[in-house]
Amino acid sequence: MGIEVRNLNKRFGATVVCDDLNLDIPAGELVALLGPSGSGKTTLLRIIAGLEVPDGGTVLFHGEDATHTDVRERQVGFVFQHYALFGHMTIFENVAFGLRVRPKATRPPEAAIRSKVTELLKLVQLDWIADRYPHQLSGGQRQRIALARALAVEPKVLLLDEPFGALDAKVRKELRRWLRRLHDEMHVTSVFVTHDQDEAMEVADRIVVMNHGRIEQDGPPDQVYDHPATPFVLQFLGDVNLFHGRVERAGAAGDEVTYVRPHELQILGAPSGGSIAVTLSQALTVGPNTRLEFKRMDDGSYVDVELPRAEYVALRESLGLQNGATVHLLPRRVTTFSSEGQLLDPAAAI
Amino acid sequence: MTGTAASAGPAPTVAVAPGAPGAAPRTGASVAPRHLRSAVTEPAWVKWLLVGIALAFLALFLFVPLAAVFVEAFKKGVGVYLAAVTDPDALSAIRLTLLAAGISLPLNVLFGVAAAWCIAKFDFHGKSVLLTLIDLPFSVSPVIAGLIYVLVFGLQGWFGEWLRDHDLKIIFAVPGIVLATVFITFPFVARELIPLMQAQGTEQEEAARVLGANGWQIFRRVTLPNIKWALLYGVILCNARAMGEFGAVSVVSGHIRGQTNTMPLHIEILYNEYQFAASFAVASLLAGLALVTLVLKFIVERRVRRELAVQERSE
Repeated sequence: MGIEVRNLNKRFGATVVCDDLNLDIPAGELVALLGPSGSGKTTLLRIIAGLEVPDGGTVLFHGEDATHTDVRERQVGFVFQHYALFGHMTIFENVAFGLRVRPKATRPPEAAIRSKVTELLKLVQLDWIADRYPHQLSGGQRQRIALARALAVEPKVLLLDEPFGALDAKVRKELRRWLRRLHDEMHVTSVFVTHDQDEAMEVADRIVVMNHGRIEQDGPPDQVYDHPATPFVLQFLGDVNLFHGRVERAGAAGDEVTYVRPHELQILGAPSGGSIAVTLSQALTVGPNTRLEFKRMDDGSYVDVELPRAEYVALRESLGLQNGATVHLLPRRVTTFSSEGQLLDPAAAI
Repeated sequence: MTGTAASAGPAPTVAVAPGAPGAAPRTGASVAPRHLRSAVTEPAWVKWLLVGIALAFLALFLFVPLAAVFVEAFKKGVGVYLAAVTDPDALSAIRLTLLAAGISLPLNVLFGVAAAWCIAKFDFHGKSVLLTLIDLPFSVSPVIAGLIYVLVFGLQGWFGEWLRDHDLKIIFAVPGIVLATVFITFPFVARELIPLMQAQGTEQEEAARVLGANGWQIFRRVTLPNIKWALLYGVILCNARAMGEFGAVSVVSGHIRGQTNTMPLHIEILYNEYQFAASFAVASLLAGLALVTLVLKFIVERRVRRELAVQERSE
């Protein structure tokens, strides 16, 4: 079931959290709402779920206006950041809840509930835990139970609010892969909120980048990363070096800001066309990569460069790269925006 | 900052401690772990002094009077005791007390849960006004509370004539006593529930709602199980106060023996008539209730704490 959001507005007091939002989520896709805290992504998700009422605009489910449909009739599954499991019920009863509260006419018989819950617990690989209580489970297990509970009512849309936000890094990584696989099996339209760009990149079919209640960009992960529409998207999706109108541009005047990602700078022993003279101030190796911090010789600002550890070791040998050594940096790839945030042709930038 | 100012009293005692004899051994290198602990632990003599003061106060103002009640009650023998508590007027007072508590408890549970529910789970204008109103019975003297009802429902009050014309008696009758009791005990349940329900938030209710539960199902299956021990705790406190209330009830009761006397009022009358043994005998029943309440409170309090801990652990 596809979701369409049209001219959606929502404010809390004086704060505008959704500013005329328009969004299409095709059926069966897994979409990430990505943005910093306060960007309105959670509010948008809650409006889609029906937990929040918009001030204006419409939400369409499968082409039908669902803006004023009660939460209970929207047939959505919602997974909360802090799981919101029912602490006084066993895991089994938690998952069975959505089936048990149905009116008598549509409530499945006890045996059917039993087999459905068992099937879901198997799906999330936690069928051996059915008799325990939520507080006896780890965070990752709780989140999987929360997902099983949401799936029990066979939702047409699955909404997840920072589903891995409260988990530690390793569990988070495992769970997002698992979510991706689960989605590939079930093909239920899913929207999840996150502030973690790696998570969005890894899991989603499409990323919707939000900032200050507006959608900055909407597209597949590669497109959003390689062709950012605004400086915000570029900066939010990873580290980046800023050059304020420093890189020479043939025949054109005007302020502009050029962005170069740390791994897209080449380190040279001798100056070359468009290169910048710098001195090394710090080298830091974390895992497989080395982060080098250079100081520009012309204005004293800092430039970060990231490269594989082996490459760094080779450069250290060939260029004598040690603290204070002078080298030259040549951008391999730049993105330039005018000072108003207008994207400029990258080919003309160098 | 206010916290520091409030504890200014004991502070000098603590400041003296390092130079005091009790603190001397802590300077040795071999007792390093104790030295670490000393940052948050007072020297033993300070601890025992404070405990001693507290115990002495408790003994003087609580245990001795409590013992005195039972000693006086049985002073003239078990026969007098039994006669006093089975006296028709005493039995009528006990019945009325139980009736007033029996009516005000369910009402307060209903009001308390409703008030706590809407304060903890919804945002609306005038929330703080409502909170203040709930606390009103705590801040108003019980006598004033009683007088309010006399002024409203009494013969000279606003509705006095109308009530008389329709042959309805509220003041100097059972309805007045129940009204006064409900008013006095109103904050207990709500006050107990609001902090817990606020700490629990609304996520579980929202989860239940998305899963298709209706309002009653959410309350019955999600909210109520989460607050049941705190609710019981509020009910226990509420009950103790309902049975023991004197001031407000005294104003509206009219002290008609065998009709509008509750236990506290009956005790006062007996005492004023120099029937000390009888008065203490009835008082011992109330004291016994207080002891039962204490034990129940102790047990339930532990469950409430566990409830909160579980809540925190599942987050």
